[in-house]
Amino acid sequence: MPAVIEARDITKKYGAHVALDRANFSAEAGRIVGLIGPNGAGKTTALRAILGLTAYQGQLQVLGREPFRERTALMRDACFIADVAVLPAWLRVDHAIDFVAGVHPRFRRDRALALLAKTGITGKRRMRELSKGMQTQVHLALTMAIDAKLLVLDEPTLGLDILARSAFYDALVNDYMDETRTILITTHQVEEIENLLTDVLFIDKGRIVLDSSLDDIATRYAAVAVAADRIDAARAEKPFHERPMLGKVVLYYERPNLAKLATLGEVHTLSVADLFVAKLSGVVE
Amino acid sequence: MNTTIWLVRREFWENRAIWMIPAVLGGIMILAALFGRIDLMALPSQVPSRAVGGGFLLAVAATFFAVMSIYSTWYLLDCLYADRKDRSVLFWKSMPISDTTTVMSKLGTALIVIPVVYFLAGDLTTLMMAFIISVRASSTIGGALWHVDLWLQLQVLWFYLIVTTALWYLPIAAYLLVVSAWAKRAVMLWSLLPPLALLLAERWFLGTHVLAGQIGERLLGYPRVAFHDDSGCCSWVTTAVDNDIIRTPASIWGFFNVAGFFSSQETWIGAAVGVALIVCAIQLRTRRTEI
Repeated sequence: MPAVIEARDITKKYGAHVALDRANFSAEAGRIVGLIGPNGAGKTTALRAILGLTAYQGQLQVLGREPFRERTALMRDACFIADVAVLPAWLRVDHAIDFVAGVHPRFRRDRALALLAKTGITGKRRMRELSKGMQTQVHLALTMAIDAKLLVLDEPTLGLDILARSAFYDALVNDYMDETRTILITTHQVEEIENLLTDVLFIDKGRIVLDSSLDDIATRYAAVAVAADRIDAARAEKPFHERPMLGKVVLYYERPNLAKLATLGEVHTLSVADLFVAKLSGVVE
Repeated sequence: MNTTIWLVRREFWENRAIWMIPAVLGGIMILAALFGRIDLMALPSQVPSRAVGGGFLLAVAATFFAVMSIYSTWYLLDCLYADRKDRSVLFWKSMPISDTTTVMSKLGTALIVIPVVYFLAGDLTTLMMAFIISVRASSTIGGALWHVDLWLQLQVLWFYLIVTTALWYLPIAAYLLVVSAWAKRAVMLWSLLPPLALLLAERWFLGTHVLAGQIGERLLGYPRVAFHDDSGCCSWVTTAVDNDIIRTPASIWGFFNVAGFFSSQETWIGAAVGVALIVCAIQLRTRRTEI
């Protein structure tokens, strides 16, 4: 089965600024991929390229199409929420549903109505009369009602309260996701989506610095917290990052000798957030 | 086709002014007919009934047409810019609708849909006013407003106006779309600056006025190309009223310069420039999503 997204040496420059620097990545069907990076790392540019919203250099195939040249066709199989609350202020909820039902062959009106019914938002209201959170709910309902092969979410839950966020992610995993779909998601709240991701892509300064499944992360990386007197022995095991914590030092390793580490201190696996901080904070000299 | 209908419907949701302005305009005219003083009664009875009727029809139609021209200009400048300003452009682009279809739907709304709305509103206003005035006023005046043949001629005039202005003003409309797709702010200012700058540059550096002439010709030359002037081509009916002579066109047909308009080089050069600018607007819509 060919990859849903296949990017080879994607480069995008804005004047002198390089937003994407020969980035390589791919995503397969049935995966939930988190695209994670600091502000200005190129996340949004990468998503824009995938969705055909921006031109780029390099090879990019999404669902077998060239996004920039074939955006219209791509949008029959892919859908996205690219930013917060981008539904226009004048649009009425019922008109929004009518419109998408009218132009999108894969839109399921019953599904959108069912999703909206849960939020209690009624049809005749305009976006400007709704709170930011409710606007996001409407947008999510419209998007999730599309039977897409690829769903791209850029900070989808910004402006939602914690209950709505958790309800959204539950619905995403339990009702929406199946093995034929692929979800690509970016968020600043990594902890919140960590347990639903199957893969992560770390992006920094326009380059992909890590492309891994979550299973791999669990087996490939480890950290050990050691007391000050054992720090030299721990450093001899070539950690890629370390930081002090509560009088001890935590050292991070890739493909470590776990038996050796166990003799130095308490070994634990890394969360995505831990790994992200460790990977992007730089290497120890 | 289905998509286009939805896109036009969307324009009506977004720009309620498309129907509200003509509705208000018609409302004001109807109120004037209801409560205004009808000085027509004071007209000398020698004035031909057809002149009164024709004048009435043309005055209403001209008012609607003038307001429409101003609104359409504003609409064209705003339509692509508004999507970027409120960032909804990304929502619209998440739909399987090409940028070409989107831009063409906006152009079609400005050049065909809006004129048809004003045309219908103008017709309705005319009928209501004629009815009200007939009831209120004397039978001579009332009768003057019900020349069916004049009314039919007006329908043809509207049709001719819609088709020919759409073609003649295509380069202007497409230019406004380019500005709307490109400008980061102040679309009105940006629509005026580039031509003004080019015009002044030409004047200072070359000392010529070619561009100014071309722009002026495009803006003001329409009546000359689309209609015959009154030099003898048409049959006029003249009536002596006291010491004045009132000239009334016997029929509107003689004024249409259909063959002249559609065979004019100016018409088609303008249309070609318009098409090139439309391509520009589509490219900008494809590439420019940020404000």
